[in-house]
Amino acid sequence: MKETENAQRGKGWKTAVYLLLALLLYAYGVQVTNVNLEEPLEPRRQQNLVGLIRQLARPDLFSYANETRSMDISLRMPCPDEPKGSQLGSEGRTIVLAPNCVNTTQDPLRLTGEGFPANASGVVIWHPPGSTTTRRVAEFRADGSGNFIVRFTMPDVRETADLQRLEIVELLDRRITGSSDTLKLTLDRILETILMAFMASTVGTILAVPISFLAARNLMTDVKMPQISLMLAVILAPIGGWLGGWLTRWLLQAAAGGQALVGLILLLVVIGLLAVVLRLGGSLLDDSPKRWQQAGRWLLAGLLGLFGLGVVGNLGLDLGSWLTPRLGLLAFVGNFIFVMADFLLLLLPFFAGLAGVAAAMSLGGRLGQRLTERLSLGAAKLAMIGLTVVGTAVFTYALLFAANWVCLLGVCRWWPEAGQWLLLVSLLVGVVGGVLALRLQPKQQIAVGTAVYIFTRSTLNGLRAIEPVLMGFVFVVWVGIGPLAGTIVLIIHSIADLGKLFSEQVENIAEGPLEAVTATGANRLQTIVYAVVPQIVPHFIAFAFYRWDINVRMSTIIGFVGGGGIGLALQRATNLTQYRQASVMVIAIALVVIILDYVSAKIRSRII
Amino acid sequence: MLRVKNLTKVYEDGTVALKDVSFEVPAGEFVAVIGLSGSGKSTLLRCINRLIEPTSGEIWWDDVALSHITGEELRRARRRIGMIFQHFNLVDRSSVLRNVLSGRLGYVNPLASLLGRFPEADVARAYASLDRVGIRDKALNRADELSGGQRQRVGIARALMQEPEMILADEPVASLDPALAHSIMRHLQTINREDKITVLCSLHFLDLVQQYGTRAIALNAGELVFDGRPAEIDDQKFIDIYGREAERIG
Ligand SMILES: Nc1ncnc2c1ncn2[C@@H]1O[C@H](COP(=O)(O)OP(=O)(O)O)[C@@H](O)[C@H]1O
Ligand SMILES: [Mg+2]
Repeated sequence: MKETENAQRGKGWKTAVYLLLALLLYAYGVQVTNVNLEEPLEPRRQQNLVGLIRQLARPDLFSYANETRSMDISLRMPCPDEPKGSQLGSEGRTIVLAPNCVNTTQDPLRLTGEGFPANASGVVIWHPPGSTTTRRVAEFRADGSGNFIVRFTMPDVRETADLQRLEIVELLDRRITGSSDTLKLTLDRILETILMAFMASTVGTILAVPISFLAARNLMTDVKMPQISLMLAVILAPIGGWLGGWLTRWLLQAAAGGQALVGLILLLVVIGLLAVVLRLGGSLLDDSPKRWQQAGRWLLAGLLGLFGLGVVGNLGLDLGSWLTPRLGLLAFVGNFIFVMADFLLLLLPFFAGLAGVAAAMSLGGRLGQRLTERLSLGAAKLAMIGLTVVGTAVFTYALLFAANWVCLLGVCRWWPEAGQWLLLVSLLVGVVGGVLALRLQPKQQIAVGTAVYIFTRSTLNGLRAIEPVLMGFVFVVWVGIGPLAGTIVLIIHSIADLGKLFSEQVENIAEGPLEAVTATGANRLQTIVYAVVPQIVPHFIAFAFYRWDINVRMSTIIGFVGGGGIGLALQRATNLTQYRQASVMVIAIALVVIILDYVSAKIRSRII
Repeated sequence: MLRVKNLTKVYEDGTVALKDVSFEVPAGEFVAVIGLSGSGKSTLLRCINRLIEPTSGEIWWDDVALSHITGEELRRARRRIGMIFQHFNLVDRSSVLRNVLSGRLGYVNPLASLLGRFPEADVARAYASLDRVGIRDKALNRADELSGGQRQRVGIARALMQEPEMILADEPVASLDPALAHSIMRHLQTINREDKITVLCSLHFLDLVQQYGTRAIALNAGELVFDGRPAEIDDQKFIDIYGREAERIG
């Protein structure tokens, strides 16, 4: 009994201390944030604010045609010895300008009007002598009883003996004649933004899917292999990548050049050959006992396919540049074909290189498995240590090479030149690795999957932590101001974000099907495609839409640092204090975000 | 012939799920695995096809050391061992046909299967398997449109696709009502008799054990406490297996 009472009293004390601490923190916060309520209340500030809000409230949406009525009143520059006022009456309206002369741009003028229609408005226009252009010097708006007073100064002084003409233009009617230039620009840019976001979301999703598997704990923890497999995979990876990339580049070169006609014939030949390879000697899909022959046919088919894609790419370039000047309004279709073909040719070696890396690593893994099973213990241990030395050296060299490459960009100047030095260090690290590997048993299963999981997760988290704006700066420097920089940043951020979200989805799938498919003897990839993918596809699609919506918002921010789209236009408008224009853009962004938000929510609820 | 020698499994949290379990199963038997829930039945079955790594001991299937093979060898062994689960473990969003075809993944060309292509012979085999369990007409339905009994039959068809020499069934009828349970058990019995497939099946109800098992082994807290014909389970044995509080109903 007593104990609980004590505990309760202790609790009270604790709460008080925490409250006090929070209060202290708050007090310090007030000092740090410089809270000063005087400044925002200053009349000048308030005036500025009101002006800004008024402009924002009148978005520059339309262009107008005005019906007007004009009256002329005269002005003198310089002033005669006895300055007077000018008066003018017409159709019940009376206008007085007093004084009716100026000597400098500081001299005040006062224009009064009476007998105007209630709330009538208009402008005062000066026709400078000897000039064909006119200048607006003041605006007026009558009150409820049709009177107004405006005070103004002249923007410039042109001295003449004659009277000068001030035109009082009263606005009778305003008709909307169409959309304003701002609106046109805004539509153009918001479309650009939506497309940027769309491309970034699709590309980001496609790349995030495989990455998310690597970042899913439940898929990765039981990926284990013996050390020999691991090291063989590491050693073969760069060879595979180089082979894939180089072969593709070579094939693309062979496919390039020549007339479109030649290209078409080549394409037909390739398709024919491909058909022959696929048909000849049984289906490629069967698990034929002649494994080597089968593998050879797959390889041949792959090479033919790559070559065919190269030909298609070049044909696309030709077709695109032929179409663009001929399609008129649809010229963007021609341009699209050209750009896509260009992308295909550019990215093909890259993806082939990746495929090469994957194939080589898989081959290395299998080879290592075989070796581990077949070799005697002593031989296996020897092989393991030798391979560890080479593998660690290769890995270290790759890391050092990357670091050095970054330094060559001028990020850090202290790094020594590449070459032998890197090689030496890598070999040394390799030997250290070999010594450490002495403690391993050849049959011991290394938890490679866990390492990959941790690495992928932390990389994704790191990328997510980098502000998109900062990335925007980097890519604007690299590829220049414009939508390309923004799109690249959005892609990277989408990959990081979706990669994490997707992997969490993968971790939440029902384990049962995974277990069942594994039990059939399926390999890792098959298990993923048959047991994991069907469970996650709807979520992935939903997230991809959600990401589109985020990308639209994010691209406006990246646009501020030069990433193209509506953000860039908005930044220009605000910098030029064109708040009416900015207002249009803000409204457009809000509308698009609201619509996308709604659409993506609908789609998500429909799919899941 | 399946031989389990001194099999022990200790989970990472220290739970001893199997303690020095040894037994032999000649090919073609229908072995009922019984025991209270938590006695280690699932663990035992999953050690055999290595969904769970044994801590120590050996498992042999003829001359293959199931307990020690890895990689490619393990996959080749797994594809000859079908498995059926209490909760069916179908992929709900895939079609019945695709679920059944997935039983073939250990045999087909991996690359082609990733593209969703299966040899025609396998598609025909899938339809034949579905025919055998009587739900050929559901082939193109989504798996989650089927009832419990139908789903378990898909599970059996999937196992049949593997052309298995052994089927591990982990409480295959525990989530079904009794009438359905008998129908599923009869399918397993037919497979056991006609195809000469060894069946290891964990069961809850003694009447099912008596009716379908040609042999029974019992686990209690991870230890093998009975190995013999189902008919030999008398009242004393029953208490050994299920403990004193249990009441014999079967
Ligand atoms: N993944 C696991 N980690 C830790 N303990 C587990 C795990 N799976 C099962 N166990 C424990 O092992 C024992 C045997 O479980 P199980 O083989 O599922 O029994 P049964 O299938 O007979 O109900 C139980 O005590 C259970 O709590
Ligand atoms: Mg169980």
